[in-house]
Amino acid sequence: MKKILNILLAAILMMTVSMPLSAQDDRQRTPETIVQDVLALMPTQNQSDFNREMNSLAQAAPKSIELLVAMLQPAEKACNNKVEYAISGVVAYASNTQYRDAVKEGLANSISKTPDQTAKDFIQQQLRLFSDQNDVEYTEHEGAAPYAAAYDKLKSLGKDAGAEVVKAVKSKDHAYRMQALKFATDYNLVNDELASQVAKKYNSCKEEGKVDIINWLGDNKVTNQKPLMMKALKKGGAPAVAAIEALGRVGGQDAEEALIAQLGGEYNEQAFAALQSFNANLDEKVASSLSTATGAQQLALLKLADSRRIKKVSGQVFDLLNNSDAEVSKAAREALSGVVTNKDASRVASLLDKANNDELAAYKNAFDACLNSLNNNEKFQAINAEMQKAQNKDRFYDALAATNTDESVEVLQQANNDAALKALMKSSNYKASAPLLEAAKNGNEEALNAYVALVNANEGNKDNRYNLLAEALKLAKNSDAKKNIINSMAETPTRSAFITVGEFLNDKDLAITAAYAEKQIQAKSLDDIEVDLVKKNLNKSIDALKARGAADDMYAVDAIKKALAELDESSPLYVLSDEEKKEGFEVLFDGTNLDNFVGNKTNYVPINGAIYVTADYGSGGNLYTVKEYRNFVFRFEFCFMRPGVNNGIGVRTPMGVDAAYDGMCEVQVLDHDDPIYSGLREYQVHGSVYGVIPAKRIKHKGLGEWGTEEIRVEGDHVTVTVNGEVIVDGDIREACQGHNVDPNGGDSNPYTVDHRNHPGMFNQKGHIGFLGHGTGVKFRNVRVLDLGDKDAKLKSKSKSKKK
Amino acid sequence: MSINRRTFLQRGAAGAALFTILPRKVLGKMGGANDIIAPSDQLTRGIIGVGGIGRSPQHFVSDQSCRMVALCDVDQNHLDAGVEAAKKTFNETVKAYHDFRELIHDENVDIVHIATPSHWHGIMAVEAANAGKDIMCEKPMTRTIGEGRRVEEAVKRNGRIFRLDTWFRFKDTFYGLGTDVRPLKKLVDSGLLGWPLTVRISGATGFTWKFFWTGKENLEVQPIPKELDYDFWLGPAPYKPYNVHRTHGTFRGYWDYDGGGLGDMGQHYIDPVQYFLGKDDTFPIKVEVDAPQQHHDAVGTWRSVTYTYEDGCKIILEGEGYESAGKVPYIEGPKGKVYKGFECTIPNVMEVINELPEPAPRVTDFLESVRTRRQFALNESNGHHSATIVNMGVCALRLNRTLHFDPKTQLFLNDDAANRLVFQPMRGEWGKYI
Repeated sequence: MKKILNILLAAILMMTVSMPLSAQDDRQRTPETIVQDVLALMPTQNQSDFNREMNSLAQAAPKSIELLVAMLQPAEKACNNKVEYAISGVVAYASNTQYRDAVKEGLANSISKTPDQTAKDFIQQQLRLFSDQNDVEYTEHEGAAPYAAAYDKLKSLGKDAGAEVVKAVKSKDHAYRMQALKFATDYNLVNDELASQVAKKYNSCKEEGKVDIINWLGDNKVTNQKPLMMKALKKGGAPAVAAIEALGRVGGQDAEEALIAQLGGEYNEQAFAALQSFNANLDEKVASSLSTATGAQQLALLKLADSRRIKKVSGQVFDLLNNSDAEVSKAAREALSGVVTNKDASRVASLLDKANNDELAAYKNAFDACLNSLNNNEKFQAINAEMQKAQNKDRFYDALAATNTDESVEVLQQANNDAALKALMKSSNYKASAPLLEAAKNGNEEALNAYVALVNANEGNKDNRYNLLAEALKLAKNSDAKKNIINSMAETPTRSAFITVGEFLNDKDLAITAAYAEKQIQAKSLDDIEVDLVKKNLNKSIDALKARGAADDMYAVDAIKKALAELDESSPLYVLSDEEKKEGFEVLFDGTNLDNFVGNKTNYVPINGAIYVTADYGSGGNLYTVKEYRNFVFRFEFCFMRPGVNNGIGVRTPMGVDAAYDGMCEVQVLDHDDPIYSGLREYQVHGSVYGVIPAKRIKHKGLGEWGTEEIRVEGDHVTVTVNGEVIVDGDIREACQGHNVDPNGGDSNPYTVDHRNHPGMFNQKGHIGFLGHGTGVKFRNVRVLDLGDKDAKLKSKSKSKKK
Repeated sequence: MSINRRTFLQRGAAGAALFTILPRKVLGKMGGANDIIAPSDQLTRGIIGVGGIGRSPQHFVSDQSCRMVALCDVDQNHLDAGVEAAKKTFNETVKAYHDFRELIHDENVDIVHIATPSHWHGIMAVEAANAGKDIMCEKPMTRTIGEGRRVEEAVKRNGRIFRLDTWFRFKDTFYGLGTDVRPLKKLVDSGLLGWPLTVRISGATGFTWKFFWTGKENLEVQPIPKELDYDFWLGPAPYKPYNVHRTHGTFRGYWDYDGGGLGDMGQHYIDPVQYFLGKDDTFPIKVEVDAPQQHHDAVGTWRSVTYTYEDGCKIILEGEGYESAGKVPYIEGPKGKVYKGFECTIPNVMEVINELPEPAPRVTDFLESVRTRRQFALNESNGHHSATIVNMGVCALRLNRTLHFDPKTQLFLNDDAANRLVFQPMRGEWGKYI
């Protein structure tokens, strides 16, 4: 497909009168050139590019349009996308500019030259955007008689439709009646007069009609028909139910009273719902009613006081706690949490301390509610004070844990019992993780889940979080705990997580969870992951999702298939440029294997054509060239996948030592733009000969972008070139005036910029090494030119070059 | 049963004066069966489109209160599978239709359930309303703003009950919010967040735009499978050579039939926002897009779509991969913010919300709506409004420019080309149906 387009472009090129491609002024470019330039940019990625390119095409219309249309190929060839982008783009752009007519003319002129019906249809549709009026004529349909006829009549009457609406209310046809009433609502015809005329029909209506009228009055909040609603309420039946809802909508003191009177009665449920949404302050009325109410009404009022948070009645509710009727005292206890305030805390705490088992939950809620208005520290103080006074201290643990304060964790840890541990599981303070992990290690899965939740909420560094989760996964026994951790790993999208989670794709209880996690990790991965591994695990994920086949599963399958289609499967085998080949460079890493390296091949792994540091490996070892070098030119590309990446290139270094000191030097590799390095010293920035020669500070390319680097070492001379710019060019012996170590034998060396001794600085020869310990950096196209062991001549050569 | 229910009903109604069709209840009593669900009190439903959502467990149901009596599909395999499943699962022998018009005019069908790709929704809903049927329609309501207007008019004119099938404005956990919409509505109504509000629908606030529903350019021409009546499947859409990716499941990736993740998920996400912002009776006045240029046929991805209401309220959609960094509020007002998981800058927010009255009641059971003739919570009117928000975004993406909208005329201002997308032509005679 690509080929066909290239041929097309070549054809256009041949037609073109040669003009500079960079010409900015469209009047100096021929339409052919403009078309060709625009096509090369299709589709544009943002509005300003779009406007600029389409403006060029539009200015060159109609000719540019004719050229584009002539490039359309028959549908079978399936190659038209760029031309289509250009045509539909310029049409969209021009449709609202002065170029409208010229573009339209271009389309009209060339429609006969289209290769097939598909192309013709496409141009016709584009032309349509220029038409001056709607080319859609809507037909009036017959509609569902008699409704449509009635509606048309109502509509034709406009503001005078009221009388028809009133007539319709008497209709026995439910749908028609409601249609007419709805019409009045939709067209704002409802006023007191219309409402009263409709209300007059109420008595003569059957029950269903009565319900409709009441509903309609309520929906329109017709206040002065409240008497009718009240009447309906008194009479009972379906209209009464409608009246309760209507009164709730209409509001007002009389409605409030009527609804409260219904509490505990036949329509208790409906009245309660209406009062929950009643848009007024109910405090006074609920308080006065509660003082006289009995039985079911009293119970409902308590529930309402709780639901509407009527603090005013707290005294009454406290009194009712001791009511001889067990049902009433229970209702009062349950209502307590809705009515208490901070000043009730001690009273509730003492109730909580003395409560029997049945009462515990309600008093715990009430105690929590008392503290609602305090901040966490105040809460801790208050709870701790109450707890000191109490006999049953464990009853305060949950409240304590909920403060999430450091002190609460300490107190609970000191309590050192099951109840305290259970409470710690509810804390969101990260300090609780230590005791929880310990409990998890002793087999407590609940503690494990709580621990995982804490890690998820508090560990911001995704690599650290992955490590903690991987440890937790080893402790998980049942599949719910494993699911929980797999789901958490989905939020740490690293290659390591992809591998770990992939192991569960064959587990029949966990395959679906793992499949969703793999999908998410792959989509958001901070690392490159080997294409083969991605394919293997994602295909397994598809199988698992298809096997269950719920609606969301199929969405996920679609998403995974798209991800698989977008995988870059090309294997970029690196080969030297002709020039470098001639100079004598050797490839150290061609994208496939680390045969030219020794050392830590566990954490340095070839992935999709790059050497990737896959995990934080601490001091677990670096990667070194097999060969040792003295004078050399070392070239490579580097790419940061995480902010703040830190690595380095060791020069003339033995293996297994700190190359910055025991090697000749370390050339720093560092994402020094990350804010965590704001306190960086100048000899630590990227490219610096660490501790010896500071580099000129550059601005790195963004994450995921490749930079180029060359390190040239000749004798004592080091030159570092990054992205084509020389940032270090100096002699290390001169830099420390020949004193790589303190001449007095001390630990501090006044001659080096880092005041450290560099005993390896004058090593004769050594390995080149990648020195790091953290994940997230990639290297590729690594090659070296060995300049041999004799350096005097070379050195002077390089010096003369410098001048 | 040689006499069918509808014929019976029509006979019963034949002698009645204009404007009086006997209600089902009366008929039930005439049948002498007061205490059981009389056949005339039992509702019936026919489903158009049984390939995807129409065959999903939540919709492929039949019970005492509402029986499934007819199915329709232009893919014979889908239709056969549906008929067989109805027999197997519910022991119902359903009528099988190839032409949706026959299902709609089947007198045994009370409720027409439209579960086709969205380029059909407008035509089918208008036809069903004109035939006097109540309607359940899958989201998105319509593919164009103009079609939405016609549906709203037809439903009203014919006194029908219409339900648009998304539900987050009245139930279920609201995606990343970890709550249903009710406390949000109460909080917004309370004014505690201040005004105007900005709502951000983004991966950062718990939503996904399903960008895998993008289309493919340069589609190969493929032979049409035997079981599929492709010409009928396209219906009002422009004729384009067949490729499997245009149809079943992946149709969402083409502007002719839908609008990708925005077209298909947009109403799910935006409708509840319209509800809690109290914008059920108005429209945004401006839409801005930040996106790569769109292909004329295949839907692409986008970075953001921003809607602005006259009072300054905004709805911002952020595409996958272009989410705002850091901690991003779902709702942001001058006085407060609400984040994913209902985290809020207002201290003790749940307690504050608990002290407020509940939102006004609505009918949230569709069959109750049909029986009582009271409007469903998400209906032809507010549904058309939220579908229009989606479709405004689609227009702006396709034209790649900022558009201004007039909520009164429901047309774009000073942009004829944009208004050509409000009303789009229909192939063949399908334009006559709307």
